[in-house]
Amino acid sequence: MLPFLKVLVRNLRQGPSTDPFPFAPTYTPARFRGRAELDENQCILCGICRHVCAAGAIQFRAAEDGSGMEFRVWHNSCTYCGLCAHYCPTKAIRMTNDWHLSHKGEDMYSFAETKFVKLGSCAECGATIQPRPAAIVEKLGARYPERFMLCPKCKRETLANHAASRKVIRVEEAR
Amino acid sequence: MLNKFINKIAPRSPWLYRLNAGSCNGCDVELATVALIPRYDVERLGCKYCGSPRHADIVLISGPLTSRVRDKVLRVYDEIPHPKVTLACGACPISGGVYRDSYTVNSPIDQYIPIDVVVPGCPPRPHAIIEGVALALEIWRKRLEEGTCSRS
Repeated sequence: MLPFLKVLVRNLRQGPSTDPFPFAPTYTPARFRGRAELDENQCILCGICRHVCAAGAIQFRAAEDGSGMEFRVWHNSCTYCGLCAHYCPTKAIRMTNDWHLSHKGEDMYSFAETKFVKLGSCAECGATIQPRPAAIVEKLGARYPERFMLCPKCKRETLANHAASRKVIRVEEAR
Repeated sequence: MLNKFINKIAPRSPWLYRLNAGSCNGCDVELATVALIPRYDVERLGCKYCGSPRHADIVLISGPLTSRVRDKVLRVYDEIPHPKVTLACGACPISGGVYRDSYTVNSPIDQYIPIDVVVPGCPPRPHAIIEGVALALEIWRKRLEEGTCSRS
């Protein structure tokens, strides 16, 4: 008898099921994948994010004076798959849970995350190498931190010197 | 006088029209969700989906504009009366999304249709679509006051 009464009482008790979004803030899950964000102090310019980006949203542009690279994610091409964040070896790219991305048509081509990443320099000869932030040296270059800061040429030289000195010792031992 | 009054109250009840320009159905599902599921309920803004382009005020375009539907989409778009506001839903209409550089795809869509509001995402969250519709409403209100046409 009168089954709608049951529904009415239930709805009165539970309150409205509509999300109050445009008029009040709403709930966003913490792991929701929204806009990508780059921490330029963590980036080592390995380029794996550009390589794995299925939608081709990530671009690197070299600065004219050769002092660094400009990292750019065009949000209007990004499919928010999160592969760039997954494969980033230094966790420089992060998917934020910001989804407030609707914007006017005029700025659809400028709607991008643009960050400038400075290149590093070799600790010995001063040649331009990939950036080597301190946080990354601890992670990727923990075994030989001083060798991690060198350019490939200086690195080869130090390795050769190292190997040669060890060989000399061995030769002396054999005698 | 009457015209002015109508232009003032018209933005309270925009009629939405979904234009599928070769979409993968992801955005279309989200657009349907926005109106049909009580949790999101875009009809709180006075919106209503209509079946005929001649009744529409805000056009929601999804999909990368494939060559197969291009002429049909343009024909339907021209049937929508001015002032109309176009909302591009998802990554596809702007950049082609994952279909970018395909020979069957004619994105970016703004070579053919002027775009007023963009909601990126693949597909966008229903909340983001509601946000975009709210933005489109503002633009439509301004256009009604000024009496401008979206092509001009």
